[in-house]
Amino acid sequence: MAALCQVRGLTRRFGGVTAVDALDFEIAQGEFVSLIGPNGAGKTTTFNLMSGLDRADSGEVLFDGRRIERLAAERIAALGVARTFQHGRVFGNLSVLDNVLIGAHTRLRATRPWAGPVAELALALWRPRSVREDYAARESEARAIVARFGDRLTPRLDHPAHSLSYANRRRLEIARALALKPRLLLLDEPTAGMNPTETAEMEALIGELKREGLTILLIEHKLDMVMRLSDRVYVLDDGKRIAAGPPDEVRNDPAVIEAYLGHSGVGRRPQAEAAE
Amino acid sequence: MSGSWISSRRAFVAGLLAAVAAPSVSAKAAGGEQILLGVSGPLTGPNAQYGAQWKKGFDLALDEINGKGGVKGRPLQYQFEDSQADPRQTVAIAQKFVSDPKIVVELGDFSSTASMAASSIYQRAGLVQFGFTNSHPNFTKGGDYIWSSSVSQADETPRLAKYTTELGFKKLAVLYLNTDWGRTSQTLFSNAAKSFGAEVVAAEGYQPDEKDFRSTLVRVRDANPDVIVLISYYADGALIARQIRSVGLKTPIVANGSVYSPKFIELAGDAANGVYTETNFFPGEPRPEVQNFVTKFRARYNEDPDTFNAVAYDTIVLMAQVFDQFGTDRTAIRDGLAKIKDVPSVIFGKATFDPETRRVAGARAVYLVVKDGKFAPWDGVKPTVN
Amino acid sequence: MNSFIDYTVNGLVIGNVYALLAVGLALIFGVANLINFAHGSVYTIGAYVGWAAITFLHTPLAVTILIVALACGALGAAIERVALRPLQGRARIAPLLATIGLSFVLDQLVQLIASPNPRALPVDLPDWRISIGGGSVGPMDILIAGVGLSSAALLYGFLRFTKLGYAVRATAQDRDAARQMGVNVDGVNSAVFAIASALGGVSGLLVGMYYNHIDPAMSFQATLKGVVAVVIGGVGNVPGAIVGSLLLGLTESYGIALFGTTYRNLFAFALLILFLVVLPNGLFGGRRAVEAEPMTGTFIAPSRALRVPPSVVAALAVGAFALPFALPAPYMLQVLTNSWLAGLLALSLTLVAGAAGQMSFGHAGLLAIGGYASALLATDYGVTPLVSVPVAGVVTSLLGTALVFPAFRLRGHYIAIATLAIGEIVSLVILNWESFTHGAMGVTGIPPLSALSYAVTSARAVYWLTLAALVAFALLQARLSSSHIGRTLRALRDDEIAARSHGVNVTRYKALAFGFAGFGAGVSGAISAHLFSYLNNQTFDSQLSLLAVTMAILGGMGNILGAVVGAVALVGLPEAFRFAAEYRILIYGVVLLALVRFRPQGLLGTV
Repeated sequence: MAALCQVRGLTRRFGGVTAVDALDFEIAQGEFVSLIGPNGAGKTTTFNLMSGLDRADSGEVLFDGRRIERLAAERIAALGVARTFQHGRVFGNLSVLDNVLIGAHTRLRATRPWAGPVAELALALWRPRSVREDYAARESEARAIVARFGDRLTPRLDHPAHSLSYANRRRLEIARALALKPRLLLLDEPTAGMNPTETAEMEALIGELKREGLTILLIEHKLDMVMRLSDRVYVLDDGKRIAAGPPDEVRNDPAVIEAYLGHSGVGRRPQAEAAE
Repeated sequence: MSGSWISSRRAFVAGLLAAVAAPSVSAKAAGGEQILLGVSGPLTGPNAQYGAQWKKGFDLALDEINGKGGVKGRPLQYQFEDSQADPRQTVAIAQKFVSDPKIVVELGDFSSTASMAASSIYQRAGLVQFGFTNSHPNFTKGGDYIWSSSVSQADETPRLAKYTTELGFKKLAVLYLNTDWGRTSQTLFSNAAKSFGAEVVAAEGYQPDEKDFRSTLVRVRDANPDVIVLISYYADGALIARQIRSVGLKTPIVANGSVYSPKFIELAGDAANGVYTETNFFPGEPRPEVQNFVTKFRARYNEDPDTFNAVAYDTIVLMAQVFDQFGTDRTAIRDGLAKIKDVPSVIFGKATFDPETRRVAGARAVYLVVKDGKFAPWDGVKPTVN
Repeated sequence: MNSFIDYTVNGLVIGNVYALLAVGLALIFGVANLINFAHGSVYTIGAYVGWAAITFLHTPLAVTILIVALACGALGAAIERVALRPLQGRARIAPLLATIGLSFVLDQLVQLIASPNPRALPVDLPDWRISIGGGSVGPMDILIAGVGLSSAALLYGFLRFTKLGYAVRATAQDRDAARQMGVNVDGVNSAVFAIASALGGVSGLLVGMYYNHIDPAMSFQATLKGVVAVVIGGVGNVPGAIVGSLLLGLTESYGIALFGTTYRNLFAFALLILFLVVLPNGLFGGRRAVEAEPMTGTFIAPSRALRVPPSVVAALAVGAFALPFALPAPYMLQVLTNSWLAGLLALSLTLVAGAAGQMSFGHAGLLAIGGYASALLATDYGVTPLVSVPVAGVVTSLLGTALVFPAFRLRGHYIAIATLAIGEIVSLVILNWESFTHGAMGVTGIPPLSALSYAVTSARAVYWLTLAALVAFALLQARLSSSHIGRTLRALRDDEIAARSHGVNVTRYKALAFGFAGFGAGVSGAISAHLFSYLNNQTFDSQLSLLAVTMAILGGMGNILGAVVGAVALVGLPEAFRFAAEYRILIYGVVLLALVRFRPQGLLGTV
């Protein structure tokens, strides 16, 4: 399988701390890959580097064979890379539906012509048929996506996001990412802070997405979920890759065990994951 | 100094009460139907002190006139609307005045900018706008209903230039307030000075809220002037004068008439001594109109009057004469201003308007110099030029 | 090169004076993450307290300084306790707005009590001078330098080496963690405000003595220059504030040397913008840890906008158009015309600051650009107002966006400072570019509005024209708001990072918002120019900018109907009740404070 996304020699330093150290990995179309490792291992930083929110000191990121590590975040999103955030970032003052529609931003072709901002403004004020149809299509897509979450979000379509429960906000984040119709989905600890029931629901949804062929890169701490869902797993510690392979291999790798055991219960590590 | 603290607190309370009550009117009873003059001016805001000075002058004149029975048996009264000298407000006040048939003439506003914003309203409606402190050369060009007894800068600044050259100065450095007033004055002054044979070696404009002039003075010093001319108001004039002395410059200073105020001496301290200036109103002048006014003012208010009190007083006296000779119809008032002659005036002696410019010609000037912390008439002694 | 030395010395001397205020500002910022716009007011009050002490109690200099320090320290603690502490946990810009409101209130109180007339503040020091180059310095310069340097040194030592200093720095880094560690966070903040304000008050006293001049309007300029110095030095860095002040003083001095006195402030603000764009953390600011939660640049309180049914809005509009038939008094119509023009400004601001999250403290600059564009076209080039007004709108749209563009990537208080400075720069450029704008003389004889050959001059006609402009713009803005662009703007307001991660080109949309908003403001300025018939660089000033912010917040940030309501309330009502004119600014300050504290979502709720 050709790699959809490749990361080669990716490095990022913050002052004296090397958050990501010459990282190499790849993910093929349709694969489900997970990044695991203790806190401070550099996982979220890697996501930031891949999605354009941060700039690497060296190394490259290839998406579809094309180098993207120097592109702006919005350009990378337009190429089909969607992500969620470690602590969840929804647009608090926007309704649930509006949140999801922002996800569809790159797909509103008629609404956002290449002709530039003035044309876009004119279209927004005038709203010819093409624009209205474009919007209607995206709106029905959005509703369909929201419906995937059962009745968690649908009855709250016009509630402001800040009024949602924590779990619903995480769900909304994923709905929003899906509205982008991504070719690669980066999920950063989607079940953090959720109770077992919620976690199970989320796992089921992610499993569905996997079965539909979506290429997914997951950061998670719940190792049983990781093992059940992933095709391959990479283990990071201190910014370096210490293990890689199918779940069973990685689970029994002594270096991995040492990394987890050796670090649990010891005092806080310097926070290398500075940015969201 | 404690006196002015307390009196200004009294003024605050009085102003508070007055402001809460209806717009200020002078209370004069007796006789027939009132003749109402509309006044647009600052009662509050940064120029509030000038509005207060106007009122003192107005009230003094009204007492005299109404005490003698008013004009043909009708008492005069003014209605003072607070504009804060803000063009947005003068426009609103203008609308109010022109649509009130009881108002026969408008007096004010304080600054030319504020007045000019409203001129078109007065002109279109046919109500005389009498900007008695508006010295902008373009003010009266607003139309034939726009009049002023204020000495135009076009008249005043050449006199300052003359004084400066009479003092023997040939190389002039000019510091001027960078507002429309200051700019106009500076241009007129420089042109006049050149025509009298002097040379302007430096011209520096400064912002109204500027406090620090040291670097400006270095530029000035480097131009090697015989004299530093200040086109300033008293507060900034005082600041500059002090800094000229404190950086060690001994150059003589000539300042325009706006610095003629006890405040200038208070704020400038010792630096005020030796400053030359001129004024068209000097309480010490022996002329009967001046002495009459000064004596009555002192008796009523227990202080010396300044130019603002004087022009306000003059304006009421003028208007009373116009009403008496030409009636109180708005258009007749306009025509009357063009025709009236030799009105007794504190500032002018006898005032007559030039119908072309709609201003009074021939203001008198008194040359002054500050000696021992007081303004005194110039004794004719030319300074040694260094 | 004698003069070069003199300019350098003078630059250092004035920098010295700026430093006194800057150190206090830096301290407050360092601890409370707040640019305290009320610091200048405390400075002014210090000068007046000192004046009172000298005049009534005849105290010697040292005692006067002590009295001023105590009085202003108490004032600072009170400010913190009453106005700022209750705002903990709100949007970052809430305390900043509160300090602006406070500055209005305090300045006006001083003016009401002490009169606007400047007073002398004589100093009791010996009269010698030391010659340096062509100029000299005296004991006051030495005293100011002494106070500035020693207070900076003391504060620096205090912060670095004492227990309370540690507590202060910990609180600045992370309030909650500090509280967990047992730090009395409230006490710390109080103490810091007290110290900074004491220093601020003493600065006012010393500077007042230096120039022998105190007046109630001292504060604004002082604060502005102090802010510039602090940004250059690195906000929060106390010794940096001194370096920043000296650098500012030198820049101004050399600017005067090269170009003349009128360019002084232009240099100061250009320096500020340069730093904000290139080195926002200043010379010594160092890297701050990246914010975990999104740092919004505006003032949004989450709320539900009041749902006003369209039929009600339509009825209000119809009523407004019909009003001249019921209430023909030209005076009232004039008052309402002013309100509609203010409403256009408020609409413009509420779009960028409310919907798009770009607070703008210099919005009056857009009025000035529009006003001048139309005035110059009509007066100097004979263009009919029918054409010049819309053209002015377009010019404002383009130029305004270009000017504010460098500020797009700034956050929180930096946007506030940058936009304030840009507003001042517009005014200064207008003043200095004489050949084009007529400089201080202004533009006279601006022709009245006209459509084809009909002059629009009656109160009624003007009323309808401006109301029509307002309604048209409001409708367009509503349409924009309900479109995808509106949604996108609100998204990037809430969280730029999340927005970008979903393909939103944030810069493009901010520019779009400003472009649209600039048109409305430009038209308002243009119409005003034709109504006033005279325009100069002071016609649209910074006070108007701050009033615009208050109007928008009063109505509810982002709320279109709210903007109009805010304008009518803050511009129309005071004009209608003219007896309150003296207290107008005071009222604005109180309204702003009350809104920020008790009802940040305004009357109609944020959108």
